[in-house]
Amino acid sequence: MNDDKPRSLKMVSDSGDVVYRTVARTGGIIVLVIMTAIGVFLGFRASQALGEAGLSFFWTQAWEPDANNFGIAAVLIGTFIIALVAVTIALPLSLGTALYISEYAPRGLKQSLITLVDLMAAIPSVVFGLWGFFSLQGNIIDIAKWISRTFGWIPIFAVDGFSDDPLSSDTVFTASSFIAGIVVALMITPIMTSIMREVFSQAPVGEREGALGLGATMWGMIRSVVLPFGKGGIIGGTMLGLGRALGETIAVYMIISPVFSIQPHILQSGASSISSLIALKYGEATTFGMSALMAAGLALFFVTLVVNFGASAIVARSRSGASS
Amino acid sequence: MSRSFTLYVRAIVAVVAVAVLALGPVTSANAVDYVPISGAGSSWSSNALDQWRRNVEQYGMRVNYASTGSSDGRNQFRSGTIDFAVSEIPYGLRDGSVVDDPPSRPFAYMPIVAGGTAFMYNLSSGGKQIANLRLSGPVIAKIFTGAISEWNDPAIVADNPGIDLPARKIVPVVRSDGSGSTAQFTTWMSKTQASIWDAYCRAAGRSTPCGVTSNYPVIAGKGFIAQPNSQGVAGYVAQAANVGTITYVEYSYALKTGFPVAKVLNSAGYYVEPTASNVAVGLLGAKINTTRGNSYLTQILDGVYANADPRAYPLSSYSYMIIPTSTDAPFTNDKGKTLAAFANYFLCEGQQQAEVLGYSPLPINLVKAGLEQVGLIPGGGETVTNIAKCNNPTFSADGSNTLATKAPMPPACDKKGATQCTTATGGAAGAGSGSGGASGGLGDGSSSGGTGGFGGSGGGFLGIPVGNGPIACNPDTGVCQNVVAEATNIDNRAGWGLPQTVMLLAVALFLMVVFLPPVLVRSIRRGGRSR
Repeated sequence: MNDDKPRSLKMVSDSGDVVYRTVARTGGIIVLVIMTAIGVFLGFRASQALGEAGLSFFWTQAWEPDANNFGIAAVLIGTFIIALVAVTIALPLSLGTALYISEYAPRGLKQSLITLVDLMAAIPSVVFGLWGFFSLQGNIIDIAKWISRTFGWIPIFAVDGFSDDPLSSDTVFTASSFIAGIVVALMITPIMTSIMREVFSQAPVGEREGALGLGATMWGMIRSVVLPFGKGGIIGGTMLGLGRALGETIAVYMIISPVFSIQPHILQSGASSISSLIALKYGEATTFGMSALMAAGLALFFVTLVVNFGASAIVARSRSGASS
Repeated sequence: MSRSFTLYVRAIVAVVAVAVLALGPVTSANAVDYVPISGAGSSWSSNALDQWRRNVEQYGMRVNYASTGSSDGRNQFRSGTIDFAVSEIPYGLRDGSVVDDPPSRPFAYMPIVAGGTAFMYNLSSGGKQIANLRLSGPVIAKIFTGAISEWNDPAIVADNPGIDLPARKIVPVVRSDGSGSTAQFTTWMSKTQASIWDAYCRAAGRSTPCGVTSNYPVIAGKGFIAQPNSQGVAGYVAQAANVGTITYVEYSYALKTGFPVAKVLNSAGYYVEPTASNVAVGLLGAKINTTRGNSYLTQILDGVYANADPRAYPLSSYSYMIIPTSTDAPFTNDKGKTLAAFANYFLCEGQQQAEVLGYSPLPINLVKAGLEQVGLIPGGGETVTNIAKCNNPTFSADGSNTLATKAPMPPACDKKGATQCTTATGGAAGAGSGSGGASGGLGDGSSSGGTGGFGGSGGGFLGIPVGNGPIACNPDTGVCQNVVAEATNIDNRAGWGLPQTVMLLAVALFLMVVFLPPVLVRSIRRGGRSR
């Protein structure tokens, strides 16, 4: 028994293998180098502001770099609030779309639907922003009002200064995290849908047929085979969507009315996000203000990195487990 | 490769070729070749610039302009990423603790157009739009500092004896980006309403005296809305649901969006609208810096705020283009040729359109000085010398400002007191007339109302242009207008033109992108199987 050792494998690589491996490895290394360079660049440019602000950078809410009173507490939390609203809306939407395309859609329609969803990803974000500002905002107010009236006792849905007085202004419901979140949700739906669809379509045919053969309905089959198999894809797609939502800039910039204090009431006017802060301020920033913006960018960079690594780790692990 | 695929490719190539042919620019024979130039800055004056840019396209000039705000324009010009900037305020002003340093490359200021910073609002009472609001200086300052928060505040009622103001919350909409409009507005506040402005600044955590700032301070929880760009604030106020909002923005945006502006009380005790002639009168009080140097031609507006002419609009000002006077990168002599030709155009002919667009044309002394500045542009070539051909409405034989001398006196109902004009202002006035509200404001319809205000019978309380057709009211906005049939000549073209063809092509392309690939894949597969 002790002599049972794995046989050592000798690999004879011919020139094609070597070339392929070199190209692939170089590509991988270049990506890593670029990522590191971005991080180093941001860190370098941010060092001046970070040195000046110290640890207070993490819990100051205001953003007045030229008065040396700035921090990411408000904008970072604002970024997460908008991203979470977006994911909450986009998750059921893309889950349903992906399931319909992969399971229910007739074959002739399938490819067209996939193209349509992909086309949605090709719409520039400024177009989404314009639509959100000029079209969605005016029409969504009644829904926001209804949510606030019905669920206002839950703190995040409360809106200060709202009463059922017909003369009260509706503007408290505009330019909010909620509206920005809806627009961002539509922007992350395509990528979430395509990842989920891809994973669902890989659900093993044998198990599907088995379930159907045992008398399961279509929905029963989906619940017992497709969804458990695609769990990793759902989580991974959602995390990737979250990563994109965190960085969404122009659409958010056009819709929100920036406030630099933690504002947890998602239906209420006033929101903030790191990327829209950068878009708003970089044009007119002083040297020090620019450094402060770089520091905010660095924070966003790390947060997005963590989210994306988490996503890929989950996808990778669940895929290897599910295929066994 | 199957035959259908080849056909598909051929079809695409054909469609694209047709589209390119159809869309290709109609290049006219250009006598001169112009290099494209790009600029950025003020959104206050961008409506005028955009019109001028479109006008010079016929001469083959490509002028790119991004209305990203004056602060951004000055910053980009300083860092050398654009060829010219447009800004309401010059370099070198102190904003909080920061001084806006001038760029190291040589530059000069050139006035481009005059205009009034207007207070555009969206307010209705009893389902009808209010379009004849009047505000005095302290009330404006208190509104934009949150000291007055209800539309039926006694101070506003005192300004508006003829309006039944609703008990609505006032929602001030301010600029979130660094802006020349904000700078003009806060200059006026710091000069005329210093105590109110400083108290607000202090509450917002700025050091006092606050002075002029390009970034409007916002106190969280006060119900202020901050939006980027003039387009952003005007677009926000113009949304039908946002009743109760008021913003500061150039008059042209009110005309464009069809919303009224508040008449502002001047030193003579009259409430006036920022029409072209009232702005021209107001700016007779402006002092122009005539010492050559880095701030040559910049404006000092104290005399405008205090102008005692009953026609003067107090928040009138000039907007400036910042031009390079050397060929430091990115500027070149070739670009200089384009910029100089563009400047010659808008300083001369372009000024004719100022009034229609919601601005006010430059007076003769500034046109002359501006044309002199054109001579400083490297590679500029000759400037316009015969300015009599410009047809600028301000020019006269004796050098006085014709537009200002001919400006109509405000009607008696616009005087501070118990009566109030019922005519509508800004974009709400000229819905039926051709020239926008610019002409509809003061001249006609000055029935000294006050009695009953509006909301009376018939709903025709707004400034109705001459005509006697039926009156139609828009149920959403409450804007009423006279329906007058007017004989118009439409060029005799068949219903099908280039736009229709392009639209059809676009739809066809879109459908192809969506539906062709799956169909094709299947036909290819089927072809492969049968073989």
